[in-house]
Formats: sequence, structure tokens, C-alpha cells
Amino acid sequence: MRSLAHVGVGVTVSVVDVPGADPVSLRLLEMGLTPGVNVAVVAAAPLGDPLELELRGYRLSIRRREAALVTVAT
Amino acid sequence: MTEPAGRERPLTVALVGNPNTGKSTLFTALAGIPTRIGNYPGVTVEEKVGRFSHCGRPIDLIDLPGAYSLRAQSPDEQVVSDVLGGRMAGVPRPDCIVAVVDATNLARNLFLASQALELGLPTVVALTLSDVAAERGIGIDVEALARRLGCAVVPVVAPTRVGIEALGDRLLSAPEALPPRPPDLAPHRAAIDGSRPASARDAIARYAWIDTVVAEVVQQAAPPRRRLADTIDRVLTHRVWGTLAFALVMLALFTSIFRLAAPAMDLISAGIDSVSAWAESILPAGPLRSLFVNGVLAGVGGVVVFVPQIALLFLFVATLEGCGYLARAAFLMDRLLAGVGLSGKSFIPLLSSFACAIPGIMAARTIENRRDRLLTILVAPLMSCSARLPVYLLFCGAFVPDIAVGVSWLRLPAVVLVAMYALGVVVAAAVAFVLSRTVFRGPPQPFVMELPGWRWPQPAVVLERVREAAWSFLTNAGTLILAMSIVLWALGSYPKPVFPDAPALAEAERQGEALRQSFLGRAGRVIEPVVKPLGWDWRLGCAALASFPAREVVLGTLGVIYNLGDVDPGEEEGASLLVRRLKAATWDGTTRKVFTLPVALSLMVFFALCAQCASTLVIIGKETGSWVWPVVTFTYMTALAWLAACATFQFGTALGW
Repeated sequence: MRSLAHVGVGVTVSVVDVPGADPVSLRLLEMGLTPGVNVAVVAAAPLGDPLELELRGYRLSIRRREAALVTVAT
Repeated sequence: MTEPAGRERPLTVALVGNPNTGKSTLFTALAGIPTRIGNYPGVTVEEKVGRFSHCGRPIDLIDLPGAYSLRAQSPDEQVVSDVLGGRMAGVPRPDCIVAVVDATNLARNLFLASQALELGLPTVVALTLSDVAAERGIGIDVEALARRLGCAVVPVVAPTRVGIEALGDRLLSAPEALPPRPPDLAPHRAAIDGSRPASARDAIARYAWIDTVVAEVVQQAAPPRRRLADTIDRVLTHRVWGTLAFALVMLALFTSIFRLAAPAMDLISAGIDSVSAWAESILPAGPLRSLFVNGVLAGVGGVVVFVPQIALLFLFVATLEGCGYLARAAFLMDRLLAGVGLSGKSFIPLLSSFACAIPGIMAARTIENRRDRLLTILVAPLMSCSARLPVYLLFCGAFVPDIAVGVSWLRLPAVVLVAMYALGVVVAAAVAFVLSRTVFRGPPQPFVMELPGWRWPQPAVVLERVREAAWSFLTNAGTLILAMSIVLWALGSYPKPVFPDAPALAEAERQGEALRQSFLGRAGRVIEPVVKPLGWDWRLGCAALASFPAREVVLGTLGVIYNLGDVDPGEEEGASLLVRRLKAATWDGTTRKVFTLPVALSLMVFFALCAQCASTLVIIGKETGSWVWPVVTFTYMTALAWLAACATFQFGTALGW
């Protein structure tokens, strides 16, 4: 298992969990990053951060710091 | 028999939905132009209500701010939760909810909609963008969805009014219908580790339930082809092409507020001038004429002149927002601004502030995060606005020696001019960095932002944003700015001057004497010890004080105070006259020149950093909903301006410039 922050651009992974109890982790769950969902890292901004994700048929942008809260299956 | 329709109590309906779901378009399609716009008590969240009638029944439609969850995390979401729960003072609990659900993004939109179903209020789901969904091959079984949600579902295409009548019919019958059935999350919740926080369990269980709904009602026809939107997206977020496109869009935005607004602004100034001339011709000379022409008319002109820039900027911002680029722009710039504690969304407000801080600060409305928004507003006035440019140009041209810097074509005055712009940016970055780590320190601010799909902006929604921005500026801030300019006129005109040898004085000298004897002029003398370390004489201190209504008047004030009379420094003749007079100015009772290179530099540095703009401070007060922030802005900027100007003068003098 690893974090979403370390997934390369163009790769699709499956979310294992967002285990934190902090407000940011809860918001990520509410945005649909729940266990079992497939997430594609579509792009990274020109300066390397933030990331553009595709999940549940929509695009979401989060910073790498937030992506580090998401554990994904390898 | 029912009562005549007009006497019935209006039905209160709340519009609830995620951001970027076509909620504003739906509001416009249902209610047209809002009948009431204001703020909810105690927060700077906009309250927007539209009254319309359907089949004779009046309906009050409340447009709630976009939210992702009723478990409120932001002031916007708190308002949504409070209004729906009937806990918002002065707002009746809605009779009925319209849950806006974007058909192209069903799963995530059902998260909020399913929370709304749990409130026990009659609910109608408006399935927006159903045309776009159909184009993308997303088939939604509306009846199955209505069955699963236990409430009416009406597909709508708001721009072409498809489904709007049907939605109205459903609203009228909703209060009599059975309350919606709350989603049954219990079996899903049971499968989740009980030690996790309730809200985490709720979110995971809710999406598990949503997955069963989506599996039942959505038929994805063919796997989605590479749509045009995907191609546009790949180009616009590309490392090279995306950055280039971004630079072009921002250049167009900046040029339009800087240049395109100019003819309209000139027209307004010319209009005010001719009204002033007309008033002067029919009113007898005296305090009343002075109040009307120099106080009221000048004040009205000073307010209306901002409208073209505000309208143009909001035209751009609303268009970019409507087509989905605003979020992309924030995505591209986020890394750059995150370093100093801001976010990508601060970019457009800050860029606009180079033209004028007033539209820039208003554009900060697009930043949802309250902390980021406040921080952006506080540093926006440090960007060198167009009102500072004439000051820089005059002093760079007159007092900075025209010598080459390194290469022959790079002249020192140009370098100093660029340095003034850079100074504002560097200081803004430093201030944002420090504030975000001290006053605004707190839990890390998440940057979780949806990148909405590309779509055509809706002209009706764009125009409504422009109208609303211009109108709220004129009615909220405009009246206050006007009142302030009248007060400042009085401070610069009273007490009336006494002329010992009145007939001997020329008109220009009379004007100069009047300003020197006024409250403002006296204040200038009082603060002389404060401005002396900056290398300024009392006249300069006085001019700086008198420029408080707006920076651009400082050159005119300098003209008056140096007995030039009412010259127009915007015209070549007036400017060269002013430059000659300034070059000749000496300290009282000596032959020592006032204006040397260090003094000119210290004056420019002061104007680059100071908050001598009453309108900016008014708009900060209005946009933040608190008069604390204009006071904070004025204090920190004046302190920084004084320190930097003092350092410039002392350093320059020590080096023998």
C-alpha cells in the first residue's frame, strides 16, 4: 500500500481508504474518495503541484499534501 | 373554493446543490433577476432571493450557496445547513427543497441530495445538464431514480427552459406529497469499522448506497469517446501549451481592464466635468457651489468611474467561471501562491489589482475559503494600481537621472519604474507569508477543488454577475465613498482662509493659501516631524494627506500647494509646469532644494506601499463585512510605507545620491 501522492501521472489506482479523522480527510471522503473507488491521476500542474484526479466521472484537484492522506492499492 | 392566488402566503423554496451544477442558471430560469440580495446576518455569505409566481401562486426562491456536504466545513455550508434546518434568523424554514443534481456527475451530486432527503422536508430533485449527459451517452432512468430517492425527479435544461414548467408544477404539489424517504444507510454503515468517526462512517456508507443507486439507474451507452472537451482539457492543462494559453488569457483580461475600460472612464470624467462646468455657470460662487462641484460632483465622478473596470472584470471572471476555466487557472497557479500562504484562486484578484484594487478585491468573492479570501484582500492593495503610475512616471522622469544601466538601451528611470512594481509584489508576498504563519495560522487549509467540465458560459448568468457586481458596488460602497469624499472636501476647504493682503494675491496663490490654512493643511504642518525622516517638507506631508481620497489626486494637490493653481498634471503642459515648480521648490526660509533623488525615491516608495485610497478601504470593509480589516490594512500599509520610505531616503542620502 502507498499514498496517492506517489502515483504517477496517467496511472489509475484503487482507493484503499482515507484513514484520518481530520477535517481534510473527511472532506476527501465526502468528495467521493471512498474505499474501492478507482482514481486516475490525469495531470500535475506545471510546477508539479497540485494534481488533477478523475474519479466517479468527474475531475478533482488536490495538493500532494492532501493526496498523501489517501492510501491506494498498488 | 381556494383563496384568490395573490393573497396566499408565498411558498418558500430553497435551491440546494453542489457548486458548478447549473444552479445559478436554474435560479435565473425560474425566478429571473433576484428581488433581494444581501448578506446573512453575521457572515459574509450572500443571501439571494427571487420572487416569482407559478400558476398564480407566489414563490420565494432562496438560492443557497453551493455546498458539497451538509456537515458544514465552511461559512457557506454552515448557511446551507442553518437555512434548511430553520435555524437562520430572519429566514423562514423552507416549505420545500429543490435539490439540484448534475446529471453528468450523478454519484457525487447525490451525496448532498441524499443528505437533503434526510431533513424531512418535501423535496424535488432537478436533474440539470440532462442534455449534456445525453450527449455523453449517459442514460438516466428518471423513474427508477425517483423510486430510489422517494421523491419527484424532474430533468431540466435550464438555458432552454426545458422542464422548468414541470418543475414549477412539482413545487406546488410537493407540500401535499409524502415526505421523501431517507436513504437506508444502516446496512452499509454496519460493514464499517465502528471505531471511526461518525461522519467518516456516514460518508463511506452514503457512497456505498449511492453506488447501488447509480448501478440501477445509469446506463453508460458506449465507453466515452475522446470528446472535444478532453482534447481542450489536455491542451489547457499541458505544461507548455497550458501555461502559454494561461498567459494569453490573463494578458487579455489585464489589458481589457487596463485599456478597454479607459474610454468609458474618460467619458465619465468628461461627463462629470461638463456637469461641473454647467453647475459653475448657473450657481453663484460660494460655499454651496464649492460643495456641489468639488464635493458632491467630484465624489459621484470618483465612484462611477470605477464601474467600467468592475463590469469588465466581472464579465471576464463570470465568463471564465461559466466555461470552467477559472478553476483551471487556479490549478495552474496554485503552487506559486501556496508558497506564500495563498492559493491558486488568489491569482486573478491580485492580477486585477494592478489595474485597480477595487475590482480586484471584489473579484476575491470567487475564493470560497474565508482565510484565503481575507489574506488576498489584505495584500491586494499592495499591487501597484494604475493610479500610482502617473506618480511614478512624473518622478522617474523628472528626478531620476537618465543614465544607462549596464547596457545603453536600459535606462535608469525605466529600471526604477519596474522596481516600484516589483516592490509591491515582493512586499505583498512577504506580508502574505508572515500573516499566514502568524495571525491566520490554523489547521492546514485544504485545497480540494472540483475542476468542472468545459461548457459554454450562459450569457444570462454572466450578465447577471456583471449587473450584480456593478449594482452592489454603486449602492453599498458607492454611497459611502461619496460621503467620504464630501467629508474630505470639507477638511480641505475649511476653515476658510484669511488673506492679510487679499487683493495682492494671484488666484493660484489664493488656492495654495486656502489649502494651507484648511484642516488638511494644518494637519500637514502638525505631521511635519513625522515626515521629516522621509526627507519631506510639510507641503509634501500635506499633499500625501490630501491624497487620501485617491492616490491619483496627489499630483493635482502638489500643484495647488505649490501655488500653481489648478493645473492638470495629466496634460503635457501641466506636467512640465509642475515639474519645473517642484524642481525649484526649497525648504521654507532656505535655498536648500526640497526635491532631490532620495526624496523623489522615498516619495515613490511611500506611494507604492501606502493605503492612501479611501475607496479601497471602503470596499475592504464592505467585502469583509467588518471595519476591523480596513483599519488593519491602513495601519500595516502606512507603517510599511513609512519605514520603507524612511529607509530609502536615509540610505540614499548616506550614499550621497
